[in-house]
Amino acid sequence: MLLTGSLLAVAVALIPLVYLGVRAAEAGGERIRAELLTGATAELAATSLALAALVTAGCLLLGVGAAFLVTRTDLPLRRTFGVVAALPLAMPTYVAAFGWVSVVDGFHGFWPAALVLTFCSFPYVYLPVAAALRSVDPAVEEVSQSLGRGGRRTFTGVTLRQIRPAVVAGGLLVTLYVLSDFGAVALLRVNTFTRSVFTSFDLGFDRVGALVQATALVVVTLVILGAELAVRRHDTRYAKVGGGTRRPARIVRLGPWRAPALLAIVAVAAGSFAVPGAALVRWTAEGVSRPGSPAEIAGAAANSMGVSALGAALTMLLALPIGLLTARAPGPLSAVLDRLTYLTHALPGLVVGLSLVFFGINVAYPLYQTRWLLALAYATLFLPLAVGAVASAAALSPPSLEEAARSLGRGPWAVLRTVTLPLTLPGIGAGAALVFLTCMKELPATLLLRPTGMDTLATELWTHTSVAAYAAASPYAALLVILSAGPVLVLARRALTPGGTP
Amino acid sequence: MNALVVRAAHKAFGPVKALDGAELTVPAGSLTAVLGPSGCGKTTLLRCVAGFEHLDAGEITLGDRAVSGSGRHVPAHRRGVAVVPQDGALFPHLDVAGNVGYGLDAAQRRSGRVDQVLELVGLAGYGRRMPHQLSGGQQQRVAVARALAPRPRLVLLDEPFSALDAGLRAGLRADVRAALHADGATAVLVTHDQGEALSMADQVVVMHQGRVRRQGTPLEVYRTPGDPWVARFVGDAVLLPGTAGGDRVPTPLGELALDRACHDTITVLVRPEQIRVTPPDAAPDAVAATVRGQLFHGHDVVLDLRLDDGTPVTARVLDRGQQLVPGQRVGLTVDGPVHAMPGPEPVAG
Amino acid sequence: MRTDRRPSTAVTIGTDTRRKAAPRAVVASLAAAVLLAAGLAGCSGEEPKDITVYSGRTQSLVQPLIDEFTKKTGITVAVRYGTTAQTAAQLQEEGDKSPADVFLSQDAGALGAVAKAGLLAQVPAELLAKVPAPYQHAGGQWVGVTGRLRVFAYNADQVKPEELPKSVLDVTGPQWKGRLGVAPTNASFQTFVTALRVQHGDAKAKQFLDGIKANEPQIRDNNIVIVGEINDGKLPAGLVNHYYLFEKAAELGVSPDQLKVKLHYFGDGDTGGLLNVSGLGLLKKASGNAKAKQFMEYLLGVDGQTYFATKTFEYPLIAGVPTAPGLPSLADLKIPAINLNDLDTLAASVEMIKNSGLTS
Repeated sequence: MLLTGSLLAVAVALIPLVYLGVRAAEAGGERIRAELLTGATAELAATSLALAALVTAGCLLLGVGAAFLVTRTDLPLRRTFGVVAALPLAMPTYVAAFGWVSVVDGFHGFWPAALVLTFCSFPYVYLPVAAALRSVDPAVEEVSQSLGRGGRRTFTGVTLRQIRPAVVAGGLLVTLYVLSDFGAVALLRVNTFTRSVFTSFDLGFDRVGALVQATALVVVTLVILGAELAVRRHDTRYAKVGGGTRRPARIVRLGPWRAPALLAIVAVAAGSFAVPGAALVRWTAEGVSRPGSPAEIAGAAANSMGVSALGAALTMLLALPIGLLTARAPGPLSAVLDRLTYLTHALPGLVVGLSLVFFGINVAYPLYQTRWLLALAYATLFLPLAVGAVASAAALSPPSLEEAARSLGRGPWAVLRTVTLPLTLPGIGAGAALVFLTCMKELPATLLLRPTGMDTLATELWTHTSVAAYAAASPYAALLVILSAGPVLVLARRALTPGGTP
Repeated sequence: MNALVVRAAHKAFGPVKALDGAELTVPAGSLTAVLGPSGCGKTTLLRCVAGFEHLDAGEITLGDRAVSGSGRHVPAHRRGVAVVPQDGALFPHLDVAGNVGYGLDAAQRRSGRVDQVLELVGLAGYGRRMPHQLSGGQQQRVAVARALAPRPRLVLLDEPFSALDAGLRAGLRADVRAALHADGATAVLVTHDQGEALSMADQVVVMHQGRVRRQGTPLEVYRTPGDPWVARFVGDAVLLPGTAGGDRVPTPLGELALDRACHDTITVLVRPEQIRVTPPDAAPDAVAATVRGQLFHGHDVVLDLRLDDGTPVTARVLDRGQQLVPGQRVGLTVDGPVHAMPGPEPVAG
Repeated sequence: MRTDRRPSTAVTIGTDTRRKAAPRAVVASLAAAVLLAAGLAGCSGEEPKDITVYSGRTQSLVQPLIDEFTKKTGITVAVRYGTTAQTAAQLQEEGDKSPADVFLSQDAGALGAVAKAGLLAQVPAELLAKVPAPYQHAGGQWVGVTGRLRVFAYNADQVKPEELPKSVLDVTGPQWKGRLGVAPTNASFQTFVTALRVQHGDAKAKQFLDGIKANEPQIRDNNIVIVGEINDGKLPAGLVNHYYLFEKAAELGVSPDQLKVKLHYFGDGDTGGLLNVSGLGLLKKASGNAKAKQFMEYLLGVDGQTYFATKTFEYPLIAGVPTAPGLPSLADLKIPAINLNDLDTLAASVEMIKNSGLTS
């Protein structure tokens, strides 16, 4: 059952790879060699990987740092900052980048792009790490200190070790996200693989060249996933032996570091929010273009939320079997199935969108240009976000609970309804919230796959910015961020509650 | 009438044979302890009985109903076998009454059964508490009550006390035993703790390497374990080689009376508490030995002794204030008949 | 061996679960939203439209005209907006099963690519007859709708009138080092390179691109950014299409001559003053579709052409429709007459741009 479901989900996730395979075969070996075996490819690969590495490092630093500050220190207004630190998830990179560009002169290139991407994606690390820090047993840290290790060495030697799975998982999402991002790199003019794929479509309307480049991106992703799997295999789970209630973790007194820590958090929040926010205000003030009627804006918002909800639901449905399999039957098979869902996560939305056009035309024509196919594209793109949430939620309902329930005479469905679902639903809900807000921000696949005539906030934003009607665009941008902030609040609250996992 | 019969049960996980022909009979209304070291297959046996695992071969019968074997596998929820897991596994989202009433239908719940079993386990009035508001011992009591509530044919307890403090354990064991008996339940307790098995159970089953090595009352299993491995597993043992001639056998501890007549090379089991320690030459048939060390337990003392021929011997004596120091010479005699087990003692076991 | 969790873990979960009313509400609302979305998809009150247009041109510029068309003819139009390149890729991917009847493209190159894939039908002869030959497909598979002039845009404060280049070839000169914005991935730039090759030969075109590359060009993704930066004083000059200036003025609510950014037109047949076109293609399955033809006719009629001339400040391509006030007439400019619609030529231009290193 679980395995069949998992295989189905992986099949959906691999649609873009099948498509790329078909197109690469059409292109032929010679074309592929001509396209890929060039200095430009090496340069693109180097830039993409360097950017991904830098942003990942930055996100690990900011994410772990923020998580530590809000869970383990006497920082003032910890809960508020705990939520604030998650909010950048609601900010699409293209809005953030656009904001920075219009506020700071000459803001473009590698380092600025790294900065914007770090600001926008560090919550991918922050949320799981904050949850992990909340649930780490302080007893182990105390043992370490009793063995003569100071606070700092205990943190690096014991605490970090225990939250490492959360750190690695968040880091992986960031790395793959950066590889797939188009919004920020395009606006800030960094030549990554993804930008090059988009450009190739423009250059002579050559789809084959673009797709061949995308296959190179798949290879890069494979290497990253392999490396991550190798790292993760050395992680052992921390097993707690014996009873006893868990005490809350000790709070580190920041002392003289309080002001700098506060300043750092405020600076990150400003970088993620204040700058793009200021740009939106400026656009509105400067421009005379106006958005559509309130009804049109509301319609676009409803469409955004509708397709995002559908996408999130479908994604969770597909993620459920893989997540449960990973939690219940950990092993090489489930690890490989799980990782396969990550393969498309690094692909540009445009390529995934085209692959779903291919799938819709050739396999599922009745679904073509309906919300369902768009939802399927979202599932293909964002499955890894959901699988992680399901797996950690499933861990909250250990098999012994279900067995106890069955031994009391309840059938499988009754057990699912009365035990498993009530316990895992909050985690699944958090996963859905994450997928939902990611769908809200998605643009390229949405443009290709939306039902004809359906506008979402993201497409309206694109429509207006493409004719420099920034004032008309800004309400859509603001609404997009505000509506995405709702799910972020849910995620943050959950991460900051003991025992919760995002 | 037997509540549970397991015949020739086989179950392998890859190359590991967890059950290798296990046999078990549990009379109705009894408490049977399945005792064995980690990895002996006792938990697998329990999971097969509960229906969580499928048997590879063999047969499990509950009452008059075959539930596993010859291609049949009645699913766990149709067996009427309630489990008390090691960690209690209380449903964290339900209160105590909700947990206890989980296996009951609405009518049964209204019938007062929940309060009844809660009272049995000593938690009357705790129905509205949430699991996290209970101590570890209370959680296990709720788990037992929850298992008893639907009046299952069989209650399986999987090391339910192992996570608790020693002080809490003794009281809880007695209470759980009393509750099971009061409700007339048939129960199987899986444990690796000899004291727990011997003190709680009506019947003890010793498992080793996927097989049952000995089944009997606690007294039978302790006194007449039948083979040296079981002898050592259920308690401290002095094992001596000997060649029997009828109902007596010459050993380094002198000529001892056997619990049965035999004429072979045998291994003799002397329990440390059977050995009486006297001053040297106090008794005519005493064997001389030297004290090498002692372990003080409060109510008794375990002496590490060596016979003059070099044979190591352990003796357990009540502490009466006598002072024995290493190097001191003593005389040893053996009380009562000793248990004869076939064959020489295996080198390793 | 199984490793089970201890009660204490369950305790933590217990606390947690009861506080989870909020996420559960979220799940419930998500479920409700799905149902709502599915319901909307199922019984969407929209009846099927008469024709489907794939538009590579922006909604805000095109939709008013289409609404006008529907009002006049009663023919309803479903319009699918996207970028021209991505829409072309989508059409190629869809092949014969495409829902599209008409492709409205921002650029001739995209139409050429779709035509080459064998997806376009012959444009009716009476429509082709309205548009000058250089602005339609040699085989009659697409037809131009509006003209877009290549210009030299500059900031009036940073560039003196006497500095303005006479020919586009002059921008490789040292006075433009680091001062010139270009968008080499833009279709209009690609067509411009094709024109260079046609007029001056491949060697000269290559020399020009190398010269640009060596001159520290300010590479941007598109013309909007270049015009915006010039107006803001961040960039002195750039090679763009003419109408972006008018878009900028419209957004700021000022008249074009109030902007800092000004346009300089290359005359005398200089390649820099090339006219690009946006155009229409008729998908094969719609070749006999009278309503699709009517739609194309409308865009190429006086109403359609006037709309583009006055609202988007593009050059009308049919005779008798005046150019927007403030724009020089094509006749005065003596724009180079080059047939730009050969896709193979485009591929060679793209190759040349790629090799010049301007795109990386």
